[in-house]
Amino acid sequence: MSFIIEVEHLKKSFGRRVVLRDVSIRIKPGESYVLIGESGTGKSILIKCILNLCDVDSGAIRINGQDLSRLSQRERFSALLKCGVLFQGAALFDSLSVIDNISFGLVHGYGKSTKEARMIAIGKLEAVNLDETVASAFPAELSGGMKKRVALARAIATDPNIIFFDEPTTGLDPITSGIINDLIVKCTKEFGISAVSITHDMASLKHISDRVGLLHGGQIIWEGTKPELFTTDNPYVCQFISGSPNGPFTEHSHA
Amino acid sequence: MVVIARFLERIGHCFISFLASIGSISLFLCKSLVTGGSPPYYWKQFARQALQIGYFSLPVVGMTALFTGIAMALQCSVGFSKFTAETAIPSVVMISMTRELGPVLTALMVAGRLGASMTAEIGTMKVTEQIDAMTTLSVNSLKYLVFPRLLTGLILLPFLVFIDDVIGILGGYLTGVYYLGFNSSNYIHNTFSGMEMWDVLSGLIKGAAFGFTVCLMGCYHGYASRGGAEGVGRATTNSVVSSSILILLLDCILTFLLF
Repeated sequence: MSFIIEVEHLKKSFGRRVVLRDVSIRIKPGESYVLIGESGTGKSILIKCILNLCDVDSGAIRINGQDLSRLSQRERFSALLKCGVLFQGAALFDSLSVIDNISFGLVHGYGKSTKEARMIAIGKLEAVNLDETVASAFPAELSGGMKKRVALARAIATDPNIIFFDEPTTGLDPITSGIINDLIVKCTKEFGISAVSITHDMASLKHISDRVGLLHGGQIIWEGTKPELFTTDNPYVCQFISGSPNGPFTEHSHA
Repeated sequence: MVVIARFLERIGHCFISFLASIGSISLFLCKSLVTGGSPPYYWKQFARQALQIGYFSLPVVGMTALFTGIAMALQCSVGFSKFTAETAIPSVVMISMTRELGPVLTALMVAGRLGASMTAEIGTMKVTEQIDAMTTLSVNSLKYLVFPRLLTGLILLPFLVFIDDVIGILGGYLTGVYYLGFNSSNYIHNTFSGMEMWDVLSGLIKGAAFGFTVCLMGCYHGYASRGGAEGVGRATTNSVVSSSILILLLDCILTFLLF
């Protein structure tokens, strides 16, 4: 079976602190994989390693069958056009308007004309349930939910086949979170895009996941489908889902 | 014995850190020049930086030059009157402005105004993951953010230095004619009779070197920012301090070379 993302025995450390010890993940095309785990366990670092935004100590990462670390800079940038990323804080470019943010990758990455890129950007704005009136606004003028939707529009502007979501619903009210979750599901189910998400939001997890991995101690200590997540007797998973302060997570952090 | 060992260890640690910083800055510069040298070129970014470095720096550079020219003429008159050498004031003001004060003061002003703003802008982009976002959109951030700044700094600082020279000499003229009682045509004649093309050119060469250095430090420290607002603030301070020190160090070296 072919996988769209393959991570094998990934190790990443910062100085003496080992963040990712031995992480292996395989994600199928069209699958929505959700990564859960305590804060500070290296989930965001894992996504950055997959996207080659930071160097790894050892291990192999392949996206669409290509090992990004072995590609030339030009090939790597070209391969990244097939990946969209929704960053935790949206990471919109402050000095650019909404429309310029969305069309940025199309103009500067794909080399499309500004006019053509703007046409596509308007379409993507509509896809995330925003109308043209926000096109000329700047990120500072938008609410948190709108920023996330604009960032999602920017992530899907280049028609990627993989999207990475780093805590897409953090800091949003339940209704806006629901809208973002629907958009993520729309991306995976309607457009057939594979998704890798990080979340601490259980409602979001239930909504968007096909398969779930629990990262702890620099390793994926549990992996399973969504139904398995809620029936497993793994103590780490049970504690994480219940949000109980007592359990193996607490014991380890106290150790 | 232990105290001496610790002292030497500390010196060694500082020296290694210093060498590591030089290596890191050199690598950053090489990467920026190599990636920036090939197409696509971001012309809008060049234009934006040209406006920031060239046009918006004019008021602060002009005021600095005017006040310096005025003060320079007054200080010279105090010293030269002791030797009845007041006629040398115009040419001393001119040489001081074109060879030394023009390039150094312009670069220090630009370091304070633009170097700091470059570091803050790039640093904020770094800590809020905007630079990572740029990479994931297949845009090389060094090519988009750094190269246009380096090039416009290199090209536009000499223009600012030239304007600074003119305004500084004008400041000296105003003091000489309206305060010290020089005859206007004599002052102008004394200014330009002692002027050589090399006086101006050496200042412009210094300006180009300083402009490049200020932009390099501004961008490098922005990229090196870590850990939120505090980290950006620290990077901004480091940028201004290192730019200022490097300007004065380079000035010393270039003055020896261009003497």
